[in-house]
Amino acid sequence: MIDLKLDRVSKKYRIRQRDPSPRRWYRGAFSQSVAEVWAVNDVSFEVQQGEVLGIVGHNGAGKTTILKLLSSITTPTRGEMTIRGRLAALIEVSSGFHPELTGRENVYLHGAMLGMRRSEITRKMDSIVEFSGVEKYIDVPVKRYSSGMYVRLGFSVAAHLDPDIVLLDEVLAVGDVAFQAKCLDRIAELRKSGRTIVFVSHDLASVYRICDRAILLDRGRVLLDGEPRSVIDQYQKRTFADSSATMTAEMDSQQPARCVNISFQTPESSDSIRTGYPMIARLGYRATQRILDPVFRISLYWPSGYLCAQLTSESSAVPLLLEPGVGVVEFQCPVLPVVPGLYRVDIAIETRGRPLDEQQRCATLFVHAGRPAAGDFYIENACSIRTEAPRFG
Amino acid sequence: MQDSSSASMMTGVHSDLSTESATALAVRPRSVDASVRVIRPATFSLSTVVLGLRTLLHYSDLLYTLSMFRLNVRYKQSALGWAWAALQPLALMGIYTFIFAHVTTVKTGGIPYPIFVFSALLPWIFFATAITNSVQGLIAYPNLLTKMYFPREIIPFSYLAAGVIDFLIASVILAFLMVHYRISLTWNVLYGIPILMILAAFAAAMALLFSAVHVRFRDVGLAMPFVLQVWMFATPVVYSLEAVPQRFRFFYLLDPAAGAIDNFRRAVIYGKPPNITEMAWAAAIATVSLAAAYAYFKSSEAIMADII
Repeated sequence: MIDLKLDRVSKKYRIRQRDPSPRRWYRGAFSQSVAEVWAVNDVSFEVQQGEVLGIVGHNGAGKTTILKLLSSITTPTRGEMTIRGRLAALIEVSSGFHPELTGRENVYLHGAMLGMRRSEITRKMDSIVEFSGVEKYIDVPVKRYSSGMYVRLGFSVAAHLDPDIVLLDEVLAVGDVAFQAKCLDRIAELRKSGRTIVFVSHDLASVYRICDRAILLDRGRVLLDGEPRSVIDQYQKRTFADSSATMTAEMDSQQPARCVNISFQTPESSDSIRTGYPMIARLGYRATQRILDPVFRISLYWPSGYLCAQLTSESSAVPLLLEPGVGVVEFQCPVLPVVPGLYRVDIAIETRGRPLDEQQRCATLFVHAGRPAAGDFYIENACSIRTEAPRFG
Repeated sequence: MQDSSSASMMTGVHSDLSTESATALAVRPRSVDASVRVIRPATFSLSTVVLGLRTLLHYSDLLYTLSMFRLNVRYKQSALGWAWAALQPLALMGIYTFIFAHVTTVKTGGIPYPIFVFSALLPWIFFATAITNSVQGLIAYPNLLTKMYFPREIIPFSYLAAGVIDFLIASVILAFLMVHYRISLTWNVLYGIPILMILAAFAAAMALLFSAVHVRFRDVGLAMPFVLQVWMFATPVVYSLEAVPQRFRFFYLLDPAAGAIDNFRRAVIYGKPPNITEMAWAAAIATVSLAAAYAYFKSSEAIMADII
């Protein structure tokens, strides 16, 4: 059964630009130049009941616009959408909150905005409060809340919606690790009970873990539609040109050194990165002063958020010295021991225990199947079989 | 939606990583007879209106919650609180009494001027406040329009509903004034209810119209105080409709607010039944304008999130 169907859906936005010159005063208010942007352009896809669809793409690719169209926040310019069942959209989990009201009052207000009945909210109140973990402050105006509490309460209300179709936009980008895990659990529960989920995220590792299928959007069009792994792989290839990432080069004068890019390659640069085969990690840096004993680190994280492995320059026998300027640190790994999958990458530079630069989740590493491995790691080995000749006598 | 959480608790699925509170969450097996909706580009049509009304019905609890919320929030951190609902008409009554009973005089047909003007100020303030609040309220929280979906007309309607409560509070003062000026209550006061319904319908129409235009052109918000000021003096609030020369009367018939307010005073203070011709006109115009304004609002609702 098909729960969601988009049939050649397009959405045009008009972007008005004010003429900044004084001419606008006599040209009047109606003479603004209007640029037309097709945020979603001729998009068609279907989502089966119980399927978890991930939508990936750059900022401005049209991901959120699709969710806004599906949730009736805005209407399509062309095309037709068919929705079967009760739909709930979590575009921003706590936008219905009013700062003057208490947590409890806001649960009623926010719940009602999401289409819940008052009786339904009353019945679920205890569970909502418990899930959010803000029991102690539930009768305090939410303007006194921390931003984390705000978001947790918002998501908690939404988690109790009980819809048939759930649209999630970057909801996992907020909250601490423990709450993220809780959200992922809730999504897994919804999935097991046959709910249809459309999930938009920049966190490719989550898309890989949660989704059955993924769509890659580029400038409003569907570029790819298929298995998450291949879609993510293609997306990364297009974005980073062989899973390399460029960081924002802005650095303040106080900072002595900063990572500017990272790339993962194989000796034959055309090949993809595989378990059990060689890999080269290159970390580009920029230093503004002389640095003694610098240490470079590349950390690989599991999708669950735990540290999987780390490459560090500490292990090199040569004492390093950085001169001001730009350069590249190269890590040669003869055998890549990590199993196939998607890893988040953190990078760091420090000197004698003093951190100079730390960038979290700045890139992702996609490892393809190579040498057969099960469990968490591939163990490099040379296996041989010696047949001992039976002795008689 | 209708099953109890305890029943679905047992069917709750626990993932291997689930924490304590996650297990407390109930997951209901999904509904089998799910309704199918088709979304197409927005048009100005009757089906938009019918669908809109059906959705509005589904969100009736939100209308209630939001109206209560308007009342709650309005008087938070204010020392006088609910007294403000009565204070504004009383202050206006004072200044208009000074102007129109002492500086110059207005024919009231033997009714003391303070209660004459107060009984018309109440419905007028209800009408004007509902429009002003709706116009400002729809754009007050852009996030609500761009990040969530609910029928947008609930925002103006909630201000209207909150206005009804303010009206009821101020009516207590009206009752005191009637006792004070020894004005006897007749059964004709009950005509006040249908008259107010006509006024509320017209207020809803104007609130929908102006608030929808205001999302696109903020000129509406800037013009509103001045427009309402002019409108008040074009409405028999500080004077009576009977004092208006016959040749201008026709224009008053075109304004349901004028007819409703003058007849409200007639029914409550003078104890006379309302003028049926005037009320029929007012009811007809109010109904037609409400239907048209609702259709307009629903068709522009589709792009509110894009242009706010």
